[in-house]
Order: sequence, then structure tokens, then C-alpha cells
Amino acid sequence: MKRYGDHRFPGKLFIVEGIDGSGKSTQLNLLYQWLQSEGYGVVFSEWNSSPLVRDVTRRGKKKRMLVPSTFSLIHATDFADRVEHNIIPLLKAGAVVLCDRYIYTAFARDVTRGMDPQWVRELYAFAVKPTVSFYFRVPLEVATKRLHSGRNGFKFYEAGMDLDLADDPDESFRVFQGRIVDEYEKMVPEFELTAIDATLPIEEQQSQMRQIVKARLAQAKRLRVAP
Amino acid sequence: MRETYGVVLPAMKLGDLTGKLVVIEGTDGVGRTTQINLLKPWLEHQGHAVVDTGITRSNLAGKGIKRAKKGHTLGRITQTLFYATDFADRLINQIVPALRAGFVVLTDRYIYSLMARASVRGLDPEWLRKIYSFALIPDAVFYLRIGVDDLIPRVVFSRGFDFWESGMDLHPGEDMYESFRKYQSALLGQFDRLAEEDRFTVIDATGDIRSIFEQLQTGIAACLNGEERSKESGVAPQPSATPVSESAAPTPETDAAVREEVAVGKAT
Repeated sequence: MKRYGDHRFPGKLFIVEGIDGSGKSTQLNLLYQWLQSEGYGVVFSEWNSSPLVRDVTRRGKKKRMLVPSTFSLIHATDFADRVEHNIIPLLKAGAVVLCDRYIYTAFARDVTRGMDPQWVRELYAFAVKPTVSFYFRVPLEVATKRLHSGRNGFKFYEAGMDLDLADDPDESFRVFQGRIVDEYEKMVPEFELTAIDATLPIEEQQSQMRQIVKARLAQAKRLRVAP
Repeated sequence: MRETYGVVLPAMKLGDLTGKLVVIEGTDGVGRTTQINLLKPWLEHQGHAVVDTGITRSNLAGKGIKRAKKGHTLGRITQTLFYATDFADRLINQIVPALRAGFVVLTDRYIYSLMARASVRGLDPEWLRKIYSFALIPDAVFYLRIGVDDLIPRVVFSRGFDFWESGMDLHPGEDMYESFRKYQSALLGQFDRLAEEDRFTVIDATGDIRSIFEQLQTGIAACLNGEERSKESGVAPQPSATPVSESAAPTPETDAAVREEVAVGKAT
């Protein structure tokens, strides 16, 4: 089994991390458009996990059957499926692969739920180390304000309601996300996450991202035909 | 005081887990289920409350794994973690509550089978150890040991070769006999390694159902009397060297059960 950092593939892997409302998905979409127009073979790694694993995860959430350990393990199972059947084959084929959220999301969530930090890191040791990991740093209030204008109501696990942080979902969400931010901040030096100031104008953030990505693509082959 | 293999799960109070955790391990077709079906009534007859559990019996992931084995292909890491999810769910929802209530938990296989299977499929044993480090250390592990040459006739003359028990996912295109030999030999190698590392009580499973049952009774009685597990490891105790304690002597009920099992075994 190849461990984190051991993989050598012709393709490149760029991932974005950050709390909900940090604007990371918007930035990743813009990056995708740009890479495509530059002629790179770029693909989003969709969270197309096997229906078997997906059904178990969905049912576990719907019926609120998950405790921290099983929440952690079923998501790791789902992610393993994605790595084995999607990310690795794409990277072998030389694609530029983009992921919206990666193992760092799991580290932040699982540790906030009380799982041992080293255990969670070991659990995901099979993951491919990204070429660059972008972390969109944003104050909690800014992110929450963006979310409230865009959607209504948080789901049970999304708001960390399983942790009994608060009776009110909005309040629970705020406390939970605050702890997630603390975990992200610890991971910035640990995993050399590239922090982007997510309060800057969208254009400014995108230009920083493109510069960093460009530098890492110097030797990557440009596929003539996009996959 | 109960311990884990390293990591303690959130909200788990180890001091509360006063029951006994007894594991029956061994490869496919070695007779684990037969023995558990004898042990449960025997223990209950003695006044112990018993819960039995086994692989893929979780409410959360059991059905998903069974469906996966019917044809859809999961990668090796995915499959391994799916089993780990099933194990965690059973640990939290079946094993821990029973131990808290003072039950004897009889488990048909434990993390050892899961680690052995995954190791044979090329996953790193050290990594597997760490993943399963949240498991509780059992009070006793009885390993029903058999060589592949003794195992084959049992399987052939009972249920026949099964796709997964023959490791056909590892040796596609081979005939089931060849694949079964290779796969089970590799598994037994892993079990022997674990038996040493984890101080299993090794029971020679080539004997008849009755003698295996008696050895298990002796071992379990010692465990329930609070005797520490032997610090020596890996060596199969010779039946002659095993003291048979009074409490473990078979009762008429269990005698009848053994005869019934043997009869059923012959009939099929």
C-alpha cells in the first residue's frame, strides 16, 4: 500500500479546503474554466462513490445512526472508493485533477467529534498527497453571513448536532464551525496548506491561485483533447 | 481494567465494561459457528447472560457488505474500511452495551480475521494494526487452528468452495481448488503470526467437535474465573496437558447437543 507522499503520477492534484461559505467552490470552478481554456486535460473528481457505500452513508445520516467512530470510518470508506476508482486512475492518465474538499475536511470534522488526531491521520494514509492544497481562510461571521443569504437550514450532522453543542441548529453550527476553523489552522503548517485570504475580491483570489497552479504545471503535459 | 489496543473512542468509559469478551477465531470452515452454537447454551445453563456477534452483523454496514460481495467490486482499501465500519458499529452498539451490562460476549471472529484477510490482499499490517487500535482487548482469544490439507476435505464435503473463501478475487482465472489452497495457506500464515503477537490460545481444530468443545469449555471457564491469559504465546497446548476443571465438565445437556451436532454433520 502506497502511503501519503509516496505516489508518483504524471497527473497533478489540486484541492480546496475551507469552511462552508469560504467561497472555495467558486474559486475551484473558475480555476477549472481557466485550465480548460489553457488546453490542460482537467477534471473534477466527482464524489461518485460506489452506490453501496453511498447508500450506507446516506442511511446512517438519515437515521442518525452514526457516532464519531462510524461517521469517521464510513466517510473514509467512501473516500477510499473515490481514490481507488477515480483519483488514482485519472492521475495515472496524466490529468489535472481538482477536488472540492479532501482528507483535511475529515481531519477537521473527526477530531472536532473527539477522534484521536493521529488515528484519523493514519486512517487516511492511503490518500494521494495533493500537488497544492488551498485553504480559504475566512472569519466565521463572514462565512455564516454568506451562507444565510444562500440557503435555509442546516442538516443534523452538518451543524454538529450529534455533539450536543447547542439546542438551536444555527447556534450549534456556529460553535461547530468555530472548532473546525481551529483544526484547519493547526493543519496549515502541518500539511503546508496554501492559505488564501478569502475576504479579498474574488478576482484577486483567483489570480493568486492561477499563479501558484501555473508554477506547478510547467512540466505537466497538455492533453490535446480534454477527457 | 479493560484496555484497548491504543486508542480510546470518544465517550467510552472502559471502567464500566465489566463483562467478558471472548473471541473464537479461525479460518473459513474450521467449525467456529458450530462451537459457538454449543457454547452459548452451555454458558446460559451456568447462569451467564450471553450475546453473540460476528462479522457483517452490524445494522449500519452489514447489508451493504453482503451486497458488495454479490458482485459489485470494491477496491481493496475500500473493502477493508467497509469491514472496519461494520466492526466499529458492532463494537459501539452490540459489544460495549453488553459488556457494560455484565454479559459474556461471544464473538465469532474479531479484528484478527479482518486484519489477516486485508494483509493477504496486500495491505500493510502495521497500518491495519493502527486502524483497529480502537478495538477492546478481549479477555480470551481461542484460535481454532487447522492445516490447509485438513481443511480442504471438510470444505469439499460440506458446502463446497465459495468464491470469497477461495480468494478468487486475488487469483482470477484459476480453478477454485488451486485458489483456495493458496489463499487459505496465506491466511493461515497471517493467523499464525497474529496468534503469536496477540497470545491466542491455540486449539487443534483437526480433532472432533466434542474434544474441541471441551477444550473451549476449559479455557472459557478459566477466563470467567478471572484467570489471566497465559503470557506465553503461539504454542498449541497439548490436550493431555490441559487440566480439566470441575466447572468445565460437560453437562448432560451439552453432551446431547454435541451428539446432535455430530449427527447433523454426518447427515449433510
